[in-house]
Amino acid sequence: MSTISPFLDPGPLTTPGALALVHLSRDNVVPVYLREGSGTVDGYSEGAVINTRFGSFPHSTLIGQPWGSQIRASIVDTGSRGRKKRKLGDVVATGAAATAVDDATGNDTEAVNSSTSHTRDVVKTAATGFIHVLPPTPEIWTSSLPHRTQVVYTPDYSYILHRIRARPGAQIIEAGSGSGSFTHAAARAVYSGYPKGPGDKRGKVWSFEFNHDRFLKMREEVEDHRLSRIVQVTHRDVYHDGFLVHSDDDDDDASPEAECVFLDVPAPWQALPHLSRRKPAPSLLASGGLEPLNSKKETSDWKSPLRADRAVHICTFSPCIEQVTKTVETMRRLGWMDIEMVEVAQRRINVLREKVGLNMPLERGTNQSPRNVDEAITRLKQIDGRFKEFYRDKRDVDVSMDDVDAEDGSDKGQAANGNVNGVVKGDVNAADTNTNTSGASTLKPWMAGRLVHRTEAEIKTHTSYLVFAVLPQEWSEEQEAAAFEKWPCGKEKKIIGSLDKETRKQEKREMLLGNKQKKTAAKAEGSSDLVERRPERT
Amino acid sequence: MHSLVQPNSWVALRLPSGNLRVLQVAPNTTISLGKYGSFPTNLIIQRPYHLTYELQDRQPNENFNRLRIVPAAELYADILAEGEKTPVSEDATPAPDVEGADNGPSEAVEYSLVDPDSGAVVATTDRAEIDASARQTLTLDEIEALKKDGTDAGRALIAKLMLSHTAIDQKTEYSLAKYKLLKTRKYIRRFSILPLDVPMLDYWTLEDKDASRIMEMREEMIGLLGCWANVHFGGTDPCEAPPTLKTEQEGEDTKMEEPELVQTSAPGRWLVVDDTGGLLVAAMAERMGILYASEEDKLNREQRGAKHSNSRQGGSTAGQQPQIKDEEGSTQVPARQEDGSEVKPESEGATQSKSPQTSHKRPAEHVVPYAHANTITHIHPNAQPNLSFLRYYDFDITNPTHTPYHPLAKHLMTLSWLQLLEPELDSTYNSPPPRATPEEIYSWKTNRRSTYHRKRKRWVKTRHIIDTTRKGEFSGLVVASSMDPISIMRHAVPLLAGGAPIAIYSQSIEALTELADCYSLGRRAAWATNMPEGLADKTLEEQEKWTGNDDFPLNPSLVLGASIQTSRVRKWQVLPGRTHPLMSGKGGSEGYIFTAWRVKPAEGKVEARGKLRSRKRKVDDQNAAS
Repeated sequence: MSTISPFLDPGPLTTPGALALVHLSRDNVVPVYLREGSGTVDGYSEGAVINTRFGSFPHSTLIGQPWGSQIRASIVDTGSRGRKKRKLGDVVATGAAATAVDDATGNDTEAVNSSTSHTRDVVKTAATGFIHVLPPTPEIWTSSLPHRTQVVYTPDYSYILHRIRARPGAQIIEAGSGSGSFTHAAARAVYSGYPKGPGDKRGKVWSFEFNHDRFLKMREEVEDHRLSRIVQVTHRDVYHDGFLVHSDDDDDDASPEAECVFLDVPAPWQALPHLSRRKPAPSLLASGGLEPLNSKKETSDWKSPLRADRAVHICTFSPCIEQVTKTVETMRRLGWMDIEMVEVAQRRINVLREKVGLNMPLERGTNQSPRNVDEAITRLKQIDGRFKEFYRDKRDVDVSMDDVDAEDGSDKGQAANGNVNGVVKGDVNAADTNTNTSGASTLKPWMAGRLVHRTEAEIKTHTSYLVFAVLPQEWSEEQEAAAFEKWPCGKEKKIIGSLDKETRKQEKREMLLGNKQKKTAAKAEGSSDLVERRPERT
Repeated sequence: MHSLVQPNSWVALRLPSGNLRVLQVAPNTTISLGKYGSFPTNLIIQRPYHLTYELQDRQPNENFNRLRIVPAAELYADILAEGEKTPVSEDATPAPDVEGADNGPSEAVEYSLVDPDSGAVVATTDRAEIDASARQTLTLDEIEALKKDGTDAGRALIAKLMLSHTAIDQKTEYSLAKYKLLKTRKYIRRFSILPLDVPMLDYWTLEDKDASRIMEMREEMIGLLGCWANVHFGGTDPCEAPPTLKTEQEGEDTKMEEPELVQTSAPGRWLVVDDTGGLLVAAMAERMGILYASEEDKLNREQRGAKHSNSRQGGSTAGQQPQIKDEEGSTQVPARQEDGSEVKPESEGATQSKSPQTSHKRPAEHVVPYAHANTITHIHPNAQPNLSFLRYYDFDITNPTHTPYHPLAKHLMTLSWLQLLEPELDSTYNSPPPRATPEEIYSWKTNRRSTYHRKRKRWVKTRHIIDTTRKGEFSGLVVASSMDPISIMRHAVPLLAGGAPIAIYSQSIEALTELADCYSLGRRAAWATNMPEGLADKTLEEQEKWTGNDDFPLNPSLVLGASIQTSRVRKWQVLPGRTHPLMSGKGGSEGYIFTAWRVKPAEGKVEARGKLRSRKRKVDDQNAAS
């Protein structure tokens, strides 16, 4: 069972060897291949360790946990690894390091060694810091992707897969594996179980990549994610060499029999001629400014990579409008139908509490200006009052200057306090204000302010243009004749769809006829109808 | 999805005007397309989808119109010809500064912008104002007459219209193309046949029917919901594979115990709250590969139907089927037959010697007719679920026994919120029908016997659904509901397995911002440092079930990564030299999606690390000082 990709069925617990995604914050997710390794790794006595700004996490603390678990940070000696081992070999040596030192130090380390086998279980939990460990999904994977090329993000690929009808059991061609985000999403979409044998055909992604480095990386990734039986990556220049694949029976140009196609290549129009039902005539391609296919095969035994008995849905992904124009033109020449071009605009939305008011606690994001006109007026009056008082005091010659300052200061403080309380009393009940020294803190800080939402600071205003099209299955004269034979016409009994006024009236009249009469009539008709129709159906 | 139009399936016909017409293709019926004409359904049954047909003129000896498949080359002839006239180079778009600089055909190109939906001219750059109606010399009557006896799929009429337009020579290349397109849309007798799959059903309901019924949920939203909730094929039923499991369970009362699953596999089970009439359930089922009945399933049913003329509940073994026989067929009314037929396997199996075919099979009343993996559990607010859209996929939720071959019969479970939260109030769940010995049952009359089995069957089903749902460990939650998402989350989140994704659709953002605020940073921090009174001593499980208070409507530690997004698709027109976004689109609700993951908090107090904490401490210090 552990051969199933964690993307498709992560199981209830984290397991060694599986990919886990460590969630630090919304946009900071770190992919980790959990390693159960015994012994020291990179100088860590705890085995493999992930170091984050929220603390250090030995893999052993992440393994065997239910997915989604909150994991506490552990106390890991990150500063002195390596150095300590050399200096105080026999004291802190553990695991593999200890065995290496064994000969030199003898019995003493023996004891340490046996005790260190337990250290893994007694990794000390740190006082603060935690992370969450999430099962991999294409969405989180996409957000944690090491960028190799432009990434196809979730809003795009979710729409594309929906539109090109990538469903369980489908065969999908993907050209330009790129960073692999689409590959993973496509694998999930077409997954219908792992093939149980060579003849067992399940949903599969046929991925093609031109860049050799990316191809190697992609193949490794597919292997690591245990998707190799669902995703087949091929190193190929699809413009020239098309989409035929290496199959199980050692056939080097087998057809993937795809019913969905996704082209994320710079010039989709150059790859399109390969995605035909029959070898396109050079004249047809020349009229569209394309070179003829360099396949040596004759038209008769040219193999189409498309599934013959299905309509094929395609999507091309191009950032520039010129690419779209060319692609669409070529599609029209090659007989694709329902051509449609769209672009997807996604926005992420931040939800926050907008804190405006004179009495708001001094925090980041609060705006200490009056909340409303009343509050502004109250304050203005107060300032005005103080101002007047100040000048009245000034005119009073009996008071010395020093005293004025002192008195004024205390007055101000009192006034401000009164104000705060007065405003607060508006929304918080009196009992609460009494129990607290500061009036503002009675309102829970996370409940204060008005709940608002804003589009996030930076948005992707353009990803790419998506061109969708459908290539219907071929329908020959013979097939049509056979179908016509099976479903002969001319004995139509009813009309459906949009009816003219006369027919609708007639129907209404029939409906209003005596129920009984109608029923018996229909019954008689229906039964005779059944008898009549049965032979032709079989 | 089938590649050919199956008899009695639902299809969408797209007319030249762009309108959709959704019909059930019954054999031996005539489909009328209104002014475009009519044709027999038998001409499209078992023909491929996505083909464009043209109605041919009626042949003298036939009483129906034959169809002609229009090849793509013909459909695109105009556009491609146009494309060749205009330079193929990058500057194909007539830029304003081209004027004066005479370089070939693009010189002095003027064009009018036409709204492709209505065909109305939005803007024009023509010097000579062209008024189509005034310059058309054909009168309305003449056009009507031409339409009536028009031949050649309306092309004759279009040609005539073009010829009798006095200002046709004044038209620019583009406006001429537009005029032709306009007239073609109006008169050409063409249509194409499209499968009514989920994207098409959504599009049709959104554009042509009542968009509010599906909460104005656009395709991009369905796609996002499915992806963020990680809905996919959830594996094969672990109970289906080994036949030994089935015999083991014989004799047990409720069959609620799932066999010991191998701990490395979590079967894909999704929780869906759907107020869109079943569109969301259909979309998720499509992603899981359980929306369309395969042709073999259907075929089996038809063969069986021919033999027994009734269908039965989809048992987990095919071996049950041959047992349904004669006697109840004569005594039961047809409507009750599905239930009546449940009797047979049990009574026969219990009282008579078992045939080798059925020896490994459980008694029918114990068969829980649901799969254990790749299932959808739908929670509905009313007594009955509203999943009416599923009828387009040959599945009737009010009577699933009619279509036992349909994958949804085994993979879709429904229960109400009351059944989920207070099952003790549910009469079916709470009152197990009395058990009777096989001898007793055998002595009863047939209809009493069938009532007994029907009741037990219903009880077993209800119990299974409620118990498995309450047990939780779902792989994901998908919601599109008019109910307050906070109340849904309160009860649904504890049912999710750790790491399970959550995706909630809402027509407007307010409901979701409130929900997101329940998981705000401030609230999470406050929860971690200062849990509501009395809760800190409780176990994690009790904390999960906690129903919230004013400060914390939801337990914020159970959900991670709460965020809201929206997405909108903008359509473009791509024509040589006239590429631009469509001029009008659909307004209404924007649609928003809330996404998050269910997480399992660590036991005890967990303190965060980092800058945030120090800042908080400062605030606390300030508060303490003042």
